[in-house]
Amino acid sequence: MLGGTSGGYLVPPPSSEQGSPNSSYIAENVLELHLRVFVCCLFCKKLNGIFLIIYSILHTKRALHASQQCLAPLPPLPEKGGEVRYGLIPEEFFQFLYPKTGVTGPYMLGTGLLLYFLSKEIYVVNHETVAAACILSVLIYGVKKYGSKVAAFADKLNEEKVATALAVKNDAIKGLETAIEQEKKEQWRVEGRSYLFDAKRNNIAMLLEANYRERLLTVYNEVKKRLDYQVAMQHLKRQKEQDHMIQWVEKNVVQSITPQQQKESIAKCILDLKALSKSAQMTV
Amino acid sequence: MAGRRAAIKAIDWAAFSERVPSNQRAMFNALKTRSDALSARLASLPEKPPTIDWAYYKATVAKAGMVDEFQKKFSALKVPEPVDTQTAKVDAQEQEATKSTAEYVQASKARIAQYEQELQKLRSMIPFEQMTLEDLHEAFPETKLDKEKYPYWPHKPIADL
Repeated sequence: MLGGTSGGYLVPPPSSEQGSPNSSYIAENVLELHLRVFVCCLFCKKLNGIFLIIYSILHTKRALHASQQCLAPLPPLPEKGGEVRYGLIPEEFFQFLYPKTGVTGPYMLGTGLLLYFLSKEIYVVNHETVAAACILSVLIYGVKKYGSKVAAFADKLNEEKVATALAVKNDAIKGLETAIEQEKKEQWRVEGRSYLFDAKRNNIAMLLEANYRERLLTVYNEVKKRLDYQVAMQHLKRQKEQDHMIQWVEKNVVQSITPQQQKESIAKCILDLKALSKSAQMTV
Repeated sequence: MAGRRAAIKAIDWAAFSERVPSNQRAMFNALKTRSDALSARLASLPEKPPTIDWAYYKATVAKAGMVDEFQKKFSALKVPEPVDTQTAKVDAQEQEATKSTAEYVQASKARIAQYEQELQKLRSMIPFEQMTLEDLHEAFPETKLDKEKYPYWPHKPIADL
């Protein structure tokens, strides 16, 4: 009961329970062998060798565990060890004695035992006792003074290891999440491919339409140019004819003015001028 | 005039631009400038050319029958529409793109499933404080020391220490 109520410490490591029956065969083989050898040595001092051979032949393949092994994950180890008083005696001992002897029971037992050992000289006080006392006092002083600091330092080392591992795990999680997001984004992007092809088709359609319109316009322009040319030619011809005729008429008229007519016209002009000047003088 | 008006769909350039990844931005810009140039050219050309005033020309031009001949020939003229050779190619491209897209999306989904699986594994891991070394090797197989390949301590190449 002493060992059983000590709070589920230090459960044996999982490997020997779970997956590897071969290793446990080996372990119990050796254990059993040692047990058998011990027993043989105790009872038959002469025939050890023969017993060794016989027993190792007979007991090679028997499993230690009879029932099915439980594969449940282990509960986590406790943070602190079991409570102890004076660094040596577990609290469960005091609780064990409390119903019968109360609070002072274990102390009385301890004092009685100590005095018994001293008085009956089961424990002999000699120079080693003094040495032990000195060493123990120094040790206990050292542990009490610096124990917590050393513990904190060791805990910090451990914490750092765990923190790096945790950082790695968190980075991995973040990386995976971003990767998933990227993939989803790429899928979304890919959905927009219809835009591209619509744009291409639009371009083609616009090009065709523009070319068609250009052709129509060219046709119109060409026809108009030709008609306008005809019209312009006609106008030009008409113009030229008119000019030529006017010129010809003028030339002929000038030619037809004889010197006689010229003299007569000059005399008439002079008479007219005199008359005009008379009328002008009279008005003044 | 039957096949002439191939429908010019309105494209949402803003939404299109959002979906373009950064390494294809230059191509997108080129496409957009080309498209804009084409639409500008189309807008500058009138839909129908102006009609010719045949009455005026008939009255003005002296040559007998020339205007009538022109008119007859002009109205009989059919301007050929440009033949569309490329739309089929674009459609073929689109089919191919759809196919490769489907493949890509499938591969992408497989990748996502894989990532989700790993994420699940990582999230459901026991905390490091409660792990033994064996649990650690199970969760992160790369931490396991290969004792067959490197039988002597430290069981990994010195450069990896």
